[in-house]
Amino acid sequence: MLGAIASIGLLAAEAAEEAAAGPENPILPDLAEMIFGTLAFLIVFGVLARYAFPALNRILAERAARIQGEMERAEAARTEADRVLAEYREQLAGAREEANRIIEEARRTAEQLRRDLQAKAEQEAQATVARAQEEIRAERDRVFDELRAQVADIAVELAGRVVGQALDRAAHERLIEEYIDQVAGSNGSR
Amino acid sequence: MADLALLAQEAVNVGVPIGKGLVYGLAAIGPGIGIGFLVGKAVEAMARQPEAAGMVRTTMFLGIAFTEALALFGFVLSFIVS
Amino acid sequence: MTGLLAVLSTPPEGFHAPGTEIFQYAGNPELCLIGSGPLCIQKVTLLMLLSAVAISAFFLMAFRAPRLVPRGVQGVAEGLVDIVRRGVVLEVMGPDGLPFLPLLTTLFVFIWVNNSLGIIPLIQFPTTSRMAIPAVLAGLVWLVFNVVGIVKQGGLGYLKNVLFPPGVPAPIYVLVTPIEFVSTFLVRPLTLAVRLGANMIAGHLILTIFAVGCWYLFSHLWTPGADWVAGFGVFSFALLVFMTGFEVLVAFLQAYIFTMLTAVYIAGAMHPEH
Repeated sequence: MLGAIASIGLLAAEAAEEAAAGPENPILPDLAEMIFGTLAFLIVFGVLARYAFPALNRILAERAARIQGEMERAEAARTEADRVLAEYREQLAGAREEANRIIEEARRTAEQLRRDLQAKAEQEAQATVARAQEEIRAERDRVFDELRAQVADIAVELAGRVVGQALDRAAHERLIEEYIDQVAGSNGSR
Repeated sequence: MADLALLAQEAVNVGVPIGKGLVYGLAAIGPGIGIGFLVGKAVEAMARQPEAAGMVRTTMFLGIAFTEALALFGFVLSFIVS
Repeated sequence: MTGLLAVLSTPPEGFHAPGTEIFQYAGNPELCLIGSGPLCIQKVTLLMLLSAVAISAFFLMAFRAPRLVPRGVQGVAEGLVDIVRRGVVLEVMGPDGLPFLPLLTTLFVFIWVNNSLGIIPLIQFPTTSRMAIPAVLAGLVWLVFNVVGIVKQGGLGYLKNVLFPPGVPAPIYVLVTPIEFVSTFLVRPLTLAVRLGANMIAGHLILTIFAVGCWYLFSHLWTPGADWVAGFGVFSFALLVFMTGFEVLVAFLQAYIFTMLTAVYIAGAMHPEH
């Protein structure tokens, strides 16, 4: 029994020895690899810190400045565009107002003209009518005057004849007939 | 006697891999559950408050690092056992 | 009993699942490519140096003659820096953290490229799956955030803020102070390194297992009477493709998380608990 335990212990010791001498434990770092690993890391870090990052930071700063400039320029251009647009709108509104004003004025002028012409035409027509009436009245007056003068003459003549002849019925009648005929004839002759 | 020695030899040969597996396997249970909970809760928090996602993610990684340490000890131990 | 154990412990005939031995590159003089001795350049160290040269060349090319409107390489490089600037620095540290942008960007790009080496055909070995790089970087981060804390808050003030966080009832400090000490000065760098290394180890292991399995299964195509086994290789291949895509994501995510946590630690040292 003791021998068995001793042999187990011996085996265990042997196994441990074998393990130590045999394959190394992958959880333990190897010195050479650590040295070369450090070297490799330092190379990369040196290159990045010494060359890459200064260049990167420079280009980033430049890019930021460029973008800032671009944005400022864009902002300025936008402001300018806004201003021009407002101006243009204002001009447009002014022009529209002006056009409206001109149209209104034209309309008013036309209306005025129409009314003037109408008034003038009416006036002319009235004047024509008045002149015609005046002429008619004058003609009538002239005719009356002429007629009155003739009637007086005739009456005087008739009276002379009546007085100068024997008055009888038949003679009167004839006389009157003659007179009327005369009048009619003189009337008709005119 | 020789038989017993052989038996012991075989027991060591067979026991070591099993022991290694057990060491790591048992050590992985707790952290496995823990990281599962942790990430689940973190995702929940991120879904509820997406604006805090950055902070939650950082804290989550930190928590995972702490929890995972236990499993990693098991891993190291599985190599030390021999 | 013995027979059963023997069966269990013997790998199946013909197929050998890859284990941690696929990460063995150090300490074997046969693997030296340049030079000799314990510090010779083998595959992993060569890849580290090459990745450093490649990243440096990329950034030098991008910013050799920078243009106002980024194009091509410059655009990609600015995008990378922008991921760190917006996603990490401004988010976690605010504008105060911008002086740390070169450091964080270097961390992010260096880790990402070294993670991605595991997926690039013909290279297919993530150098971060060797613990050396994660350990070195975690140590560097540890140094940086402690120095920042001491510079910003003074040595004693920094220690006081870390070990005795304000707003805690006095008796609780018995509990809080040791925890804070361990978590800040020991656990932080340890987890930072192990998280990255372990993720890449696991990822590479999975890819290797499926690749080897795929090869093994397809090799049965020429075995008379067993060629039907090759049919199962399709599943292995599908998973290999899927896991490779997953590793692309993991490579980015681990680099991002490493950078993010670095930023969180530095920010914590700059601004004590509020």
